[in-house]
Amino acid sequence: METAHKRPNYILIWVYLAVLTAAELALAFELPISRNLKLVLLLFLAVWKAALVGLFFMHLKFERWNLRIMAIIPLPLAVIFILAGMSDHIW
Amino acid sequence: MTHAAATVDQMQPPYPAERGLDVYNKKLGMWVFLASEVMFFAALIGTYVILRFGATGEWARPGIVLNIKITAFNTFLLICSSVSMVKAYAAIQDGDPKKMRFWLLMTILGGATFVGIQIYEYVHLVEHGFVPSGVREGSELAALVANGTLPAATMGLYGSTFFTMTGFHGFHVTCGVISMAYLYFTKALPGKYSKQDYGGIETVGLYWHFVDLVWIILFTIVYLI
Amino acid sequence: MTSVAATAHGAQAHHDDRSFVRKYIFSTDHKIIGIQFLFVSLFFLLVGGLLAMQMRWQLGFPGKPMPGGGVLPETMAPGGVILPEYYIQLVTMHGTFMVFFAIMPLLVGVFANFLIPLKIGTHDMAFPRINMWSFWTFLIGGVVMLSSLFVPDGAARAGWTMYAPLSARHDYSGASIGQELWSVSIIFVGLSSILGSLNYITTIINNRAPGMTWFRLPLSVWSLFITAILGLLALPVLSGAAIMLLFDQIIGTHFFDPAAGGQALLWQHLFWFFGHPEVYILILPAMGMVSDIIANGSRKPIFGYHSMVFAIVAIAFLGWIVWGHHMFVSGMNPTLGSSFMVSTLVIAVPSAVKTFNWMGTMWRGNLRFHVPMLHAVAFVAMFVIGGLSGIFMAATPVDMQIHDTYFIVAHLHYVLFGGSLFALFGAITYWYPKMFGRLMSEPWGKVHFWLTFIFYNCTFFPMHITGMAGEMRRLYDPNQYTFLQPWQPMRVFISISAFLLFATQLIFFVNFWWSLWKGQKAPQNPWEDNGLEWSLPSPAPHGNWEKVPTVYRGPYEFSSPQVAEDYLPQYKKLPTDREPARVPLAGH
Repeated sequence: METAHKRPNYILIWVYLAVLTAAELALAFELPISRNLKLVLLLFLAVWKAALVGLFFMHLKFERWNLRIMAIIPLPLAVIFILAGMSDHIW
Repeated sequence: MTHAAATVDQMQPPYPAERGLDVYNKKLGMWVFLASEVMFFAALIGTYVILRFGATGEWARPGIVLNIKITAFNTFLLICSSVSMVKAYAAIQDGDPKKMRFWLLMTILGGATFVGIQIYEYVHLVEHGFVPSGVREGSELAALVANGTLPAATMGLYGSTFFTMTGFHGFHVTCGVISMAYLYFTKALPGKYSKQDYGGIETVGLYWHFVDLVWIILFTIVYLI
Repeated sequence: MTSVAATAHGAQAHHDDRSFVRKYIFSTDHKIIGIQFLFVSLFFLLVGGLLAMQMRWQLGFPGKPMPGGGVLPETMAPGGVILPEYYIQLVTMHGTFMVFFAIMPLLVGVFANFLIPLKIGTHDMAFPRINMWSFWTFLIGGVVMLSSLFVPDGAARAGWTMYAPLSARHDYSGASIGQELWSVSIIFVGLSSILGSLNYITTIINNRAPGMTWFRLPLSVWSLFITAILGLLALPVLSGAAIMLLFDQIIGTHFFDPAAGGQALLWQHLFWFFGHPEVYILILPAMGMVSDIIANGSRKPIFGYHSMVFAIVAIAFLGWIVWGHHMFVSGMNPTLGSSFMVSTLVIAVPSAVKTFNWMGTMWRGNLRFHVPMLHAVAFVAMFVIGGLSGIFMAATPVDMQIHDTYFIVAHLHYVLFGGSLFALFGAITYWYPKMFGRLMSEPWGKVHFWLTFIFYNCTFFPMHITGMAGEMRRLYDPNQYTFLQPWQPMRVFISISAFLLFATQLIFFVNFWWSLWKGQKAPQNPWEDNGLEWSLPSPAPHGNWEKVPTVYRGPYEFSSPQVAEDYLPQYKKLPTDREPARVPLAGH
């Protein structure tokens, strides 16, 4: 089973998620920064939130390494596919 | 086959067996299934990224077609339902089925409300002229295209990608709500979960968190960018 | 089952009181599900063959009325003469049925289901009910696809690769609901595959018998495990693509419609991102089973077992980054194209490792040319030819010339027929006793093998040549081009060989069906093999073992100095063997 661990503070994670969501909204609509920077920051925030859900709610932080690998494997495949598809439009 | 079923249903790796991943079958099966779901959404999201990146012409600016306020609330709601799910899981881990049932019910209600709001949004969008093929002729949004607020060239792609991605996500949420409701009535209420056996809760919880995770990505890239 | 069989190693399962429907129709027993896949897939293999026969009639005898063509509607073949609109349906549906409803389910649906629990030593799959659903969604997909042959305006017709926007728009293709039915059917097939994969993966990871460590797994199980991972991750992409195609077809979305900003190339990327792992799904299980059979037929351990495992993993891993080699002429980014060329050339290496290892296994072995061994050895030879033509195509400049010609058709049939199907004939013959308790006829098996081998090579080898000469695939009338007219005698030769090849398969089908009732009753271990399944009676009982076996060694201990016989099963305990670290619980 999972490695023995102290239970994470789920409410604290919830607060982080709420704050990050608010940050995303502010970033998207209030802050006067360039579109490309906005894109990068928003993606970063979204990935951070997704990681919080994955690591703490789905307990990946406390599972064995090989289960973590199994969960992660599709991601590089998805990235490769998207980059290849995009490459048709950058020459 | 009852002897095989007895080992599989409990939360130990099925004996006798070689050491697998130290994770009981239901949970391992769910993680494996989620890997396939990542690929499914990768195809849909990847399509959106590739189409948008390769589109000649502007993409509609965020907030004009889609209602950010309602969707932001919906996002928050889904995150809350993820928290209630994990609290249900924590409760049964501590051996408190009553608390688990409460939080599970909250999760089901949160999920159902999310779907309800999504459906309301869809109806609203279609009424204003936003459909999977783009913008309907003679609608309110068509006027925005005519006056240049919305780019004519990419509205077809916008509609196609928006409805497909959020539609399939909504379908997954619905399946999650139905599954949780099924477990609630057939297992949780009759008291079949305990500190020794809560695999179903953990397994459906993983699915629910995944659905939340996908929405976190979708909300950002579809609504905010 | 005789009492002799019952007193052998594996004891009978507990008393089975299921109804007929629960036992044979809506069964959750992995063996029955495997057999259900077998019967249905053999039917679709026949369907695919019949479609090919019609294609070969048109190519060999263009414009002539086809025997039996009178049953076809006037819109498809007036007076039995095939029309171009019908020809392209034949091409499309032949590929579709063969790939999705014959070879894939025969390799995975049949053998993953039948073999995995037996070979790893457990009672059934991790999720028996999901397993049942996997078969029924497959069947629904098959029925939907079959029905598309009979709808108004006919079946889908954009090639089995269903390129958009030809496939997305009725005004381009001329088909109507037939196209949609293809998309719907594929969605069901994808679902079936994903459900199956998740079962196979979970079962192999978690339910191996005590002592069955990863590196004591037979190569058939390794290959099925890796194939399941490929399927798990690739089929969802196809499902997504099929859904988007369906939406383009019926609700007016524009994913693949260039006129509205969509991208035709996007379909190709989506399809081939699935499609390349798919072809490894179509070959890896065959390679795995061939390994088991060759070791058995050589009475020697597999040469280089560990490198065989790493080769399977390497092929699967690299298989994700070669898909663009199907798109060299599509107009994609040339730099990307070059990277695909490199990765495609590299993937030949692990396949070559496997080929040399099979030869190393046979070298100086005490060879037994039973029918499965004949098929397995032919597999190696045919796969080498198919692989070598693949090297030609991997080089982008060469592919510019031969893409979409019969050279490609030759390649794919050498690996899929010469490879996968020969392996399947061998595997079906090999595990038939464990499935049905009878043996197929050995003499007729040999006749079938030799005639198939001869007619198969006569059919497909010349295609390398006509392909080099520039004969395009999916082409209704090659004679419209003067430079292809001199090749008509070759086309006639190929067609006649194909007809004889098809007729020969009758021998296999009769052997298969006749032996179910009249075949020689099979002993427990007719091939003197080492796998766990041979510790059970033939046929294997429901639940497999009362008490799962313990495993003491790897699966290829042939000609071992420790025993007098030339085989040493995995489950046989010698005085010198220790128990594995985990001790079984009572009652297991």
